[in-house]
Amino acid sequence: MPRIPTSLLRQARKLDALLPPLLAPCRDLGAAQNELRWLREHVDKVASTRGHREQDTLLRNFVQQRASGKPLQYILGTEYFGPVEIRCRPGVLIPRQDTAASVTHVAQLIGRAQSLPSELRVLDLCTGTGCIPLLFDDVFTSTRRDVPLRCLGVDISEKAIELAGHNVMRVQREKKDTTTSTIELVRADVLVDPFAEQAIDVPSLKAALNMYRLPPFWDMLISNPPYVSPSAYWKTTTSSVRHFEPRIALVPPAGKGQDDTQQGDAFYQRLITVARDVEARVVLLEVADVDQAVRVARMAKDMQMFDGIEIWRDEPDQCSDQEPTEQDGFAIVGRGNGRSVLCWRERGGLWLGKTPAWESDADRLSETYRSMPRLTSKYSF
Amino acid sequence: MSGLHHARAQLLRLAGLRPYAPVVPRPHARPLTCTPVRLANLNLPPRRTILDSEIEENFLKGSGPGGQKINKTSSAVQLKHLPTGIVVKCQETRSRSQNRKIARRLLGERLEVLELGDESRVMIKGREERRRKASADKKKRRKYRGLEGGKGDEGEGEKQEVDSEGKEA
Ligand SMILES: C[S@@+](CC[C@H](N)C(=O)[O-])C[C@H]1O[C@@H](n2cnc3c(N)ncnc32)[C@H](O)[C@@H]1O
Repeated sequence: MPRIPTSLLRQARKLDALLPPLLAPCRDLGAAQNELRWLREHVDKVASTRGHREQDTLLRNFVQQRASGKPLQYILGTEYFGPVEIRCRPGVLIPRQDTAASVTHVAQLIGRAQSLPSELRVLDLCTGTGCIPLLFDDVFTSTRRDVPLRCLGVDISEKAIELAGHNVMRVQREKKDTTTSTIELVRADVLVDPFAEQAIDVPSLKAALNMYRLPPFWDMLISNPPYVSPSAYWKTTTSSVRHFEPRIALVPPAGKGQDDTQQGDAFYQRLITVARDVEARVVLLEVADVDQAVRVARMAKDMQMFDGIEIWRDEPDQCSDQEPTEQDGFAIVGRGNGRSVLCWRERGGLWLGKTPAWESDADRLSETYRSMPRLTSKYSF
Repeated sequence: MSGLHHARAQLLRLAGLRPYAPVVPRPHARPLTCTPVRLANLNLPPRRTILDSEIEENFLKGSGPGGQKINKTSSAVQLKHLPTGIVVKCQETRSRSQNRKIARRLLGERLEVLELGDESRVMIKGREERRRKASADKKKRRKYRGLEGGKGDEGEGEKQEVDSEGKEA
């Protein structure tokens, strides 16, 4: 990390004595000012009844924690995921805005579908704070009150499941009796093969579904699994992420005979297999970049069960003004880094407003093509 | 280990209320915090609506990998009104969604002033506020927190950094 120039430090000190230590984690003055303001607001909120001196000590303490690299969200205890406020705690990954953008977009697309199942079932594997089902619910039910939503969040970490439970209860309490959605959470190991020898500790997903009499079939599968390879973990994650966020949320476990890249990709084959087993019609998987996206898209293609596959960038709802807009036959849509892979089949294509592959009526087909060129994947079988 | 305890740790069933709960329109997610109160009896023109096609929106989050690899706290939103070239930036709250709403409102106000001048909501409200202040005769000189210079600094409340770029369109 480059050193902070002394002139900047001096400039910061002139504005506020607490700003200079924040420059290290924030890197620029504007960001440091914002964070200091939010920390102050937080102190005002949590210590409103305390005296001036105590508040001051608390604020200094927060600034110090932040200066040591601790993520702001762990200090404040929350992060916004789209419009939904999510509680965060050390030990559970902080939700990212990039994830929120993909989830919002897919929920909006599905929300516009003409016909949906009488109950829409969404499986979120590796749920962490539970942010994905909560945001999906928020976006989807704001347009579709006619279709009740049933979500299941799955995570291996007990801390995550506990925190997710807390988040779901808090949000649902706020919504009072206006909600028709159900969000359930279960602890299970997504990676473990249900037919292999089972560890007693955490059940496989399939075993957990059986054990708790949860539905075996799900309309959608969403996942933001650990996807950072060991070498990328050291080279490309920020030190604040490495020192304060759980490694198990970022780096897949090592497998026999895997190279670095394969380890980073370790969840995807399993996730796609689960998608097949639960008969998911729409699958959204987050990835690190376009390269990983293409590898995942290929894996999905090799399963020979999807009608279409495309790659989304960070902001999938924005015009694609970035090269490439296609790779290996997969359309790449939106703006920013490669962020997720979307797969669909059968009715899933209709829910997303895509052209179904078996659509034989040539007129309708070309019309759909014309009306939404950007939404139509180049890739279909 | 007790079976019940085990089951609790494994499955949290957090069902919402019955599906036949009354369908109530959802209230606005969160009220905008800085809308002034007690100006209800003023005769204000309707808010200027802005079409999505008129604006270009940018989330100023810098370059770099994103996703799981970095944990950013920037929630800044920048709107550019294409017909006039007016640019509005907002990072008042930690919620990007909320900042998008605030930025749209700010841009609406800017456009109104441009289009309606003295008859715009902002001007009417400003006059009313000054009148009240004068009559209350209460000088409340608040020191600025002096944070205006830095880029990316969006002050509190209505003090947003709003700068207009040259007319490009
Ligand atoms: C990148 S985090 C995503 C969390 C959340 N969905 C989000 O977007 O913020 C990945 C999550 O996967 C969980 N996880 C790791 N290995 C797992 C496994 N084998 N089975 C299920 N969950 C796992 C971690 O505990 C972590 O919460």
